[in-house]
Amino acid sequence: MEQAALALMNAFPPLAGVPPWAVTLLLIVAAAVVILVFALTFEGVGSLVLRKVAGDIQARIGPNRVGPNGILQFLADGVKLVLKEDIIPANADRLLFKLAPYFVFVGSFAAFVVVPFGVGLIAADLNVGIYYVMAVTSLVVVGVLLAGWASNNKWALLGGMRAAAQIVSYEVPVGMALIPAVLVAGSLSLQDIVRSQEGLLGIFGWNLFHNPFTFFSFFLYFTAAQAETNQTPFDLPEAESELVSGYNVEYSGIRFGLFFLAEFGDMFIVAALATACFLGGWNVPFLHAGTLPWIWGNLLSLGVFLAKAFTMVLVMMWVRWTLPRLRVDQLMRMSWKYLVPLTFVNLLGVSLWLLVFKGKGIPGMIASLFG
Amino acid sequence: MGLKAYIDDIVQAVVTTAKGMRITARYGADPKEEVTLQYPEERWELPERYRGFLHNDVKKCTACTMCVKVCPVDCISLESVRGADKKMVLASYDINIGRCMYCGLCVEVCPVKSLKHTAGYEMASTERGELILHFIGEDAAEVKARVARQVAEAAAKAAEAAKVAEAAKVAEAAKGETKE
Amino acid sequence: MTARPDALPTQEMTINMGPQHPSTHGVLRVILTTDGEVVTRAVPDIGYLHRALEKIGERVTYAQYMPFTDRLDYLASMNCNCAWAWAVEKLAGIEVPERAEYLRVIVCELNRISSHLIAFGSYTADMGAFTPFLYAIRERERVNDLFEMICGSRLTYNYARIGGVSGDAPPGFLEKTKEFLDYFEPKIDEYNNLISYNKIFVHRLANVAVVPASEAVAYGLTGPSLRGSGVPFDLRKDEPYSVYPKFDFKVCVGAGERGTTGDCFDRYMVRINEMRESVKILRQAVAQIPDGPVLAKVPRVFKPPVGESYFRSECPRGETGIYLISDGSVNPFRLKIRTGSFVTMNIFEKITRGLMIADIVAVIGSFDIILPEIDR
Repeated sequence: MEQAALALMNAFPPLAGVPPWAVTLLLIVAAAVVILVFALTFEGVGSLVLRKVAGDIQARIGPNRVGPNGILQFLADGVKLVLKEDIIPANADRLLFKLAPYFVFVGSFAAFVVVPFGVGLIAADLNVGIYYVMAVTSLVVVGVLLAGWASNNKWALLGGMRAAAQIVSYEVPVGMALIPAVLVAGSLSLQDIVRSQEGLLGIFGWNLFHNPFTFFSFFLYFTAAQAETNQTPFDLPEAESELVSGYNVEYSGIRFGLFFLAEFGDMFIVAALATACFLGGWNVPFLHAGTLPWIWGNLLSLGVFLAKAFTMVLVMMWVRWTLPRLRVDQLMRMSWKYLVPLTFVNLLGVSLWLLVFKGKGIPGMIASLFG
Repeated sequence: MGLKAYIDDIVQAVVTTAKGMRITARYGADPKEEVTLQYPEERWELPERYRGFLHNDVKKCTACTMCVKVCPVDCISLESVRGADKKMVLASYDINIGRCMYCGLCVEVCPVKSLKHTAGYEMASTERGELILHFIGEDAAEVKARVARQVAEAAAKAAEAAKVAEAAKVAEAAKGETKE
Repeated sequence: MTARPDALPTQEMTINMGPQHPSTHGVLRVILTTDGEVVTRAVPDIGYLHRALEKIGERVTYAQYMPFTDRLDYLASMNCNCAWAWAVEKLAGIEVPERAEYLRVIVCELNRISSHLIAFGSYTADMGAFTPFLYAIRERERVNDLFEMICGSRLTYNYARIGGVSGDAPPGFLEKTKEFLDYFEPKIDEYNNLISYNKIFVHRLANVAVVPASEAVAYGLTGPSLRGSGVPFDLRKDEPYSVYPKFDFKVCVGAGERGTTGDCFDRYMVRINEMRESVKILRQAVAQIPDGPVLAKVPRVFKPPVGESYFRSECPRGETGIYLISDGSVNPFRLKIRTGSFVTMNIFEKITRGLMIADIVAVIGSFDIILPEIDR
């Protein structure tokens, strides 16, 4: 950000008198606002798309009353959530009850910081990008647990406990399934990971096709990440048919809205990470986005990235409307007896592959055969 | 659990999930599968036997009270008085559609088929009183008074006629007497 | 587990599941005592929907009681209607025209399909998959259309009458029924592919809440809940009434397809398979239905002879038995209704011990209880 600020000051002479830290701060705030606006828009539109997809799959229409074809439904929902009475149950721990939604929202929103939207479109290209995402999304556990505990409701408590157990367990396979991408790229930074998938017609450079083990680790990651973000079929913390609504049962109004937004934010983070780590990120097929003019390169790469990420989100919705829910012990078994061993075996496989073939993937080898 | 069972488990999970997702994808992609009827704009065709709100054609009604007797929830109430022509005249005929369960027993027993189900099924009211349908516009007391008046008039007329007849008879008799 | 003296003092938690809960299928209240997620005791508390249907029966005439049987099991009103009609006819010894009996069988089996559809749909919704529920509702809507055509109502049909049915099949009804059957039969395979054999679904149901055959009989379970335990007892076959002996169909029993015989999956599968059998019966009934009157001559002021009778028929949720005592007046002297769902509540506490909270939902759904039948 500091470099960007300095570059900006050099580009615009009138800014010369302003202290550099002020410009940097301004840029940080601007970036935060842009990302917040993007996140909120995505979350709003995401809820609408979710309902539309549900309608399509369930042989009905879905929301179609607010605005042409229902596209303003999410605004109506948002207005409703904001205007609703904010109820705090009697005997609830008021402070924690109020605090919990912010934890959850911040946990999901902060992860947007390192999402590589385009060649140069990233709020902060941290050199520990993946590690940062894993760490910051863990904040959600705290929020959910607080919500469950502070509500003074037994269903909420059960939901919170389930969420804590689930998110903590699934963090292991999620991390293990992402490491192959890190190994291939040799960096934890998401931009570096995306850059490592350049070339080879833009598609065969993807980590997904790098070798059979990375292929599997994509699916392992996708499954585990859905569980980590409490998506169906792993939505046990808010299982509406068992726990009524789980940890957020006592929340209403905008506090509920924050949980709701965080859910969609998590959905996007999962899709974005899958895209960045396995599906080539913002790499434009047949072109080198980095060598294009700045504007075009960024626009194209942003478009490609969003298209891939949204496709992943759609797949998540599709899964959501197909599968039933696991039971809590089965969920744990799935994590510790299936996903964890498989991701470890997979990690071993990737490491061996990289060692034996000197870091070359199958498409790379085929390409080198043809010169 | 052996390794084979372990792998079988995973394969089965993937295969059955894929199967299910194929079906949902087909429904998701095919717009012809939508079955929603957008109610206020689109409506389905009601069959002939549809049991909607009750309607009594009071002109045909003979006030036989069959419907009142058969109603399991006592939602029909009627008052009647005997009219001048010895037929029953309805003073009031009320159906409480808040209580009615649309079973159709009353329609079945109606001997003159004056009570019928209509195709109506939409109604909203903010007060329970509005749920009582009155089929006689006039007030029951008014009708009763009118009928009583008619009966009285008829009686008076009949009495007059009887008097005239009596007088005629007397005159006849007197005539006969004078003849003798 | 051995309790260590220095272990943290733990306490069991008591939770009320219901009367307002999305998956207790109405206003059932289950008092759960749980140790974390494990249920140590689940006691059903019933009576939130008590409407004194049996007492009402003593205050209204035999014919007037028909609409009340609609409310006995609102998802299978036709079956209850016909059960009442058969019971009163048995008490009074009334001969019913054959066409009326065929029509009754047709509507009963259609209603069995629609009731099992709801059972299937709400069960999958309980398990977290919402889509099959809407597919089930979509098919049920077609059955409702048929019922609306024949009796004018979509939920509380009030179609049967003492001595027959309220109206003959309108023109086009039988053809539309056939059309529906052709449309519906392939859908059952679709359901199986979509959810029945889904690994997660199977895992949720198999080996959960096993009711052994001996216990099912001892506790008096009936209908699909009994057949799920592998007992091939179906009143339509074993104590045939109406024109059921004329049809060829199979009694579906649970066979431990994915686990132990008598688990939730078996009870679920029996319902799915029964829909197929109902389709089979319907095809035969529609093909065989004779012409003729549909209502026997029954005096308007109907007074059955002094006596008592018990009639039981196979409803979608088990045996609906109607016990009637007549003192020769226009009202029954005493009416007692035995329903399938009510009996399942006895065994509930026993089989749910040691299950998880999510399994309680699975057990409630696998018995396909309906509250108006439990509380009456």
